[in-house]
Amino acid sequence: MRPELKEYNLDWLFASTFSVAKNLANSSPGEMEYVFKYIPYVRPLLEPLLETGKPALTFLDLFGDYYTNIVNAKENGKKVVMTTFCFDPCIFYAVDNLLPVTLEIGTALTSLAWKRGSTDFMDYCTEIGFSETGCSSQRGAMGAYLAGLGAQIDLVALNMGGVCDTNANAYNFAAQYLDVPYYGLDYPSELTSDEARDYHHKDYRKLVHFIEEHTHCKFDIDKLREVLEEKRKQDNLMNEIEDMQRLIPNPVPGIYHIMIYAARYTYSGKKKFTKMLEEMVEIVRKNAENGMSGLRNGVEKNRTFLVYIDNYSYGIALYEWFEKKGISHLGNILSRTFAETAPYTTGIPGTAYRIDTTNFNTMIDTLADINARMPMTRTIRGSYDAPNMWLDDTLSLAKIYGADCCLYLGTPGCRNTWSNIKLLARDLESFGYPTFIAYGDSFDSRVETWETSEMRFEEFYHIRGLL
Amino acid sequence: MENVFIEAATNIESPSIQKWKEKGGKIVGYTCSFMPVELFYAADILPIRLRGINAHSMEISDSYYGPFVCSFPKAVIQLAGSGKYHFLDGVVISNGCDTLRRMNDCWRKMGADIKGSLPSWFYYFDVPHKPDGHAFDWYVNQIKKLIAAIEKQFHVHISENKLKKAINAQNAVRKSLWEIEKLRRQSPLTITGTEAYAAIIAGTMMPVDEYLRHLNTFLNNIRNRKQDSADDKKKLFLGGSICDDFELVSLIESSDAVVVGENICFGIRNEKDMVSETDDPLQALTAKYLSASVCPRMMGWYKERADMMIKRIKNLNADGVIMQNIRFCDLHGTENGLLERDFEKNNIPSLRIEREYGPLTETGRLKMRFDAFIEQLKTAGINK
Repeated sequence: MRPELKEYNLDWLFASTFSVAKNLANSSPGEMEYVFKYIPYVRPLLEPLLETGKPALTFLDLFGDYYTNIVNAKENGKKVVMTTFCFDPCIFYAVDNLLPVTLEIGTALTSLAWKRGSTDFMDYCTEIGFSETGCSSQRGAMGAYLAGLGAQIDLVALNMGGVCDTNANAYNFAAQYLDVPYYGLDYPSELTSDEARDYHHKDYRKLVHFIEEHTHCKFDIDKLREVLEEKRKQDNLMNEIEDMQRLIPNPVPGIYHIMIYAARYTYSGKKKFTKMLEEMVEIVRKNAENGMSGLRNGVEKNRTFLVYIDNYSYGIALYEWFEKKGISHLGNILSRTFAETAPYTTGIPGTAYRIDTTNFNTMIDTLADINARMPMTRTIRGSYDAPNMWLDDTLSLAKIYGADCCLYLGTPGCRNTWSNIKLLARDLESFGYPTFIAYGDSFDSRVETWETSEMRFEEFYHIRGLL
Repeated sequence: MENVFIEAATNIESPSIQKWKEKGGKIVGYTCSFMPVELFYAADILPIRLRGINAHSMEISDSYYGPFVCSFPKAVIQLAGSGKYHFLDGVVISNGCDTLRRMNDCWRKMGADIKGSLPSWFYYFDVPHKPDGHAFDWYVNQIKKLIAAIEKQFHVHISENKLKKAINAQNAVRKSLWEIEKLRRQSPLTITGTEAYAAIIAGTMMPVDEYLRHLNTFLNNIRNRKQDSADDKKKLFLGGSICDDFELVSLIESSDAVVVGENICFGIRNEKDMVSETDDPLQALTAKYLSASVCPRMMGWYKERADMMIKRIKNLNADGVIMQNIRFCDLHGTENGLLERDFEKNNIPSLRIEREYGPLTETGRLKMRFDAFIEQLKTAGINK
């Protein structure tokens, strides 16, 4: 690891970067230009982000807040739980003395904000024994925490067993390396049966017990209800944005997707996330009323649906390339909520969740149901009572949003999707959706440079006559 | 070395399998050591562990799997797609890892592309990633469902009595395998790792009665041996990803060493690694196959696995450990990193290697590393 990296605490770096960045909106253009000279690598992220107005400021404020809390956790008597991106963190916010730190979001943020992203941290993981072929999404931020360059982790809890064993295995490694307690929710290869639901509920109750045991805190029912009611609002706002995305041209700015899901996996159930969504809805509604595209130049030439995740390893170069080409980003699997109120969950019994805040038990069951229906646990797993769920979800979403083509972007560390993407791509093509498989790494630009990726995207869109 | 074990360990369709088929017997393939094979024996069906040996290319499996996955399931798909598993009457896939779980999708798709490559019965057996509580109950129910599915597909009845008999027969095998493990601890040495490992692998490819007969003959032969010249060789323990090819053990042993034990998903780990013959059979099978697991897929049980391995390594008087993982096998690749740290704390020298599954295309590279490791062990021995 470069020695200079050891001089800084990762959480403090994030906290400082985002807390300072949110004040840039108060600057004059001249002042802004002056500041950008000193932050050349953050500029490509901040400039287009700030152009989106209010939601961007709330986004920066939210992450400033999130990481400041983590930095001050010990001072404020709080424990820190290491968790994963497809785990709804609501539950952690219902305990007084617990704060989640989500590795994959941290890894993505490093790449978005800094040159070289988290590659040093990734390599550090390998140095201390982690498999070099393991998923880069965890390896990035995880390296910092294992090197003692982030918050002291008190426990590890996640929901990936049976869904993405590679992910669960990475967190298990972290728990063993740091010698802290570990709890992993486990998912049978079924989703909709009563037996599977019962399994989810029992497993989640054990998680609740695990949290209580290691935080010495009982869940506050009123607080849990408050968090879930906030989540209900957030789901409805996300659904509204998703619904408006059906319009042609699509009134949703592409960059909103990453802002929404980054915030969702860190601040679910928190008021700042609701505020950001409300500000976004307001802008998207205005665009929709005026028949305007969410693209900056206003001309939508293509609508692209991403069947897995985006690429974060070159900052927001992908989003900017979409802007340049007039490609409307229709979101990826991480953009979807699978609440029963979501327009695209209609007609698929048992695969959506309902928020029920009647009592403690219904709330715990709700949280178990939500976690079994997060994008990874629901769509990508390929549950065997719905073996084509990834295909079915992709086809229905691509149809609803009027997609012209599909892209797969992921990481070479993803055994789950790399064991299935060729089948998916073939089927999507047979249904008339040109599909591109990218071989780069969404978190590690060393695997494929942006120039190479860009060339491949150009080739795909050109040869398939998509632009 | 027993020729019958070599034949079974090196051939997908060994003479034992051919004889079984000639007599009209049914054969079902399975993918993972979490499969309670007793269920099939109780239905007079021969269960065989699916393997990828002798797959010399991946042109079929590359159409289904992407490039960043372990070469073991790819090799199995390759063989299935090229008709090498034509004799199977059924296949049971289970979720040993992400890639094995996805074999379900890949094989089904291949079945639609290549006529005859998908057996008429193709079943998914769902194994939890936890050993107790609701996971235990889930596994018991999975066994019940599998029994019902076997009975329906093959028009058989799996009675409790037949199940108990099958458990008894498998336990007899386990006891004999444990006898081999004990012989491997003895000094002077009377058995090589290659012989022992070939015998262990063969057990997943032969009818249990025939296997047990040969195994006991093999045991008697070893007991009657006087001494093996391997006595001054370094004793090594082998762990990690699936390895159904004893050539890897042979390669290690060609470097002035002898493999005295393995922690791989074949064989037996300790003398308690049995199925209870007094408890309810389904509960007993679950206790053995789920709760006694030593696979890193059971996240959260690392310490138990490490302790068990360290104890075994010490009991076997091993001088060092070779931990291997197939490239892209993150479960073992990562756990090997933790084990390396903990072995070091326990003064157990270890070597980590990453390899490709299949023909030993990397023989030279691997041998060089084995040689270096053994040389280190010898030097350390001189300096003690």
